[in-house]
Amino acid sequence: MWIPVHIDENRPEPLYHQVEVQLRGLILSGQLAEGTLLPSIRELAADLRCSAITVRRVYQDLENEGLLRTRQGTGTFVSGIDKEARESYRLERVVEAFERAVETGLQLQCTREEMERIWREAYERRSAEAPEERRKADER
Amino acid sequence: MNAERRLPAEQAAGSGGGPDERTGASLAADHERQRSDRWPAQDDAGVEAAARLRGVAIRRESFSLGPLTVSIPAGMVTAIVGPNGSGKSTLLRMLLRMEPYDEGGIEVLGRRLEPDSDMQLRERIGFVTELPHAYENGLTADDKARFASLWYSGWSWDRYTRLMKSFDADRTKKLGKLSKGMRRKAELAVAMAHDPELLLLDEPSSGLDPSAWKTLLDELTRYMNGGDRTLILATHITEEVRRLADYVLFMHRGQCLGLYEKDRLFENWRVFAVQREDGAAGRDDAARLLREAPGVQGALEAGPGICKLESDAPEETERYCRSAGYRILSSQRLELEEIMACLVRKGEAVR
Repeated sequence: MWIPVHIDENRPEPLYHQVEVQLRGLILSGQLAEGTLLPSIRELAADLRCSAITVRRVYQDLENEGLLRTRQGTGTFVSGIDKEARESYRLERVVEAFERAVETGLQLQCTREEMERIWREAYERRSAEAPEERRKADER
Repeated sequence: MNAERRLPAEQAAGSGGGPDERTGASLAADHERQRSDRWPAQDDAGVEAAARLRGVAIRRESFSLGPLTVSIPAGMVTAIVGPNGSGKSTLLRMLLRMEPYDEGGIEVLGRRLEPDSDMQLRERIGFVTELPHAYENGLTADDKARFASLWYSGWSWDRYTRLMKSFDADRTKKLGKLSKGMRRKAELAVAMAHDPELLLLDEPSSGLDPSAWKTLLDELTRYMNGGDRTLILATHITEEVRRLADYVLFMHRGQCLGLYEKDRLFENWRVFAVQREDGAAGRDDAARLLREAPGVQGALEAGPGICKLESDAPEETERYCRSAGYRILSSQRLELEEIMACLVRKGEAVR
């Protein structure tokens, strides 16, 4: 099975961190469903061109978090994730993205009014471009 | 298939306590040596070794190597890299006792290499040499396989057939009549057909076309899949190291320049482009000044007022440059061969 994890070699974060953050994201966002069999440590390492040591560490960390479970002899599977964890992860990612945007705004001396206007305009434009996503969000 | 595989831990335990021709006194001395030995710092303390070298040296008029002290982790892929003549092939051959050495001791799969031959140990190893043996020119791949099947108790014709199909290799033409790459494929299949615990490959991809090379990488990944096999390969192909290796062992002029965990290695080495904040001042000797900065292993003038720094302590280098009034223009990973060049320079500076 191919897993859409992308490594950016020029980022300063260690490889295992990049892989771990992305894999956690794929599980918590539901893109990797419960019960999905993950590639073996060796296969994923070959795909990502990183060492098996790095992948083993990621699988172990996510197992400790309860996101993965390993069955001896069969492989590593995605665990069932409770709604609460998924929900808090969903918001965490949005908060993170906003924090970064605000930081950029402050660095460039944006006022609060300017940032709010930018946010409103972006929201109107983007949600008009993606009516399906907006409908789903309104239904919640 | 898994049942017949023995875990490295069991091997180590088995070899220590099992029947042995050596005297009790020499065994005790061995145990004493094992306990008192301190391995190099880069050698992860908890990692089981598939091969250990302690002070191994060859001293001949034409060729000298070592002393080498290194242990190669079990269950992992270690790539030996280094220029021609750096001792990569010699190291592999020594692990098979195909190359005599003058000093030191070697342990392979938990057994000390002894002058008398030990077929039990050879059975647990697969090997592809750098150059094919001329005396096999008249054999077909199947002939060679029949011969190998008599020597290796773990031999499986099914595995051999599957590998030959996978590599799309010729079974019926004489090896001497095959192209270099075609012969290589047959040799790889024969070397892997007994599913050895330790596989030693000397430039395995030389002569292979891109598609056969991809098949080789897939087959080696498959071989390593269970986690209880060890692969040591000598290679010049950077991409092979990137895709296969867990550890990288650098060799240069018969010396070991270090064994590194691959991902750590690439994380720990970076190249920066830096420029003085105030532009003009002191720009001519920036490279000379920054050569002494923490972590810097190489510095050169890359343009007017711009200096390129290779560092093996990137965070410290970056912090120093900022505090000394430099702007970081870019920060990138180093390629394997660039790291190698830095290590060689570093090694020669010490000497």
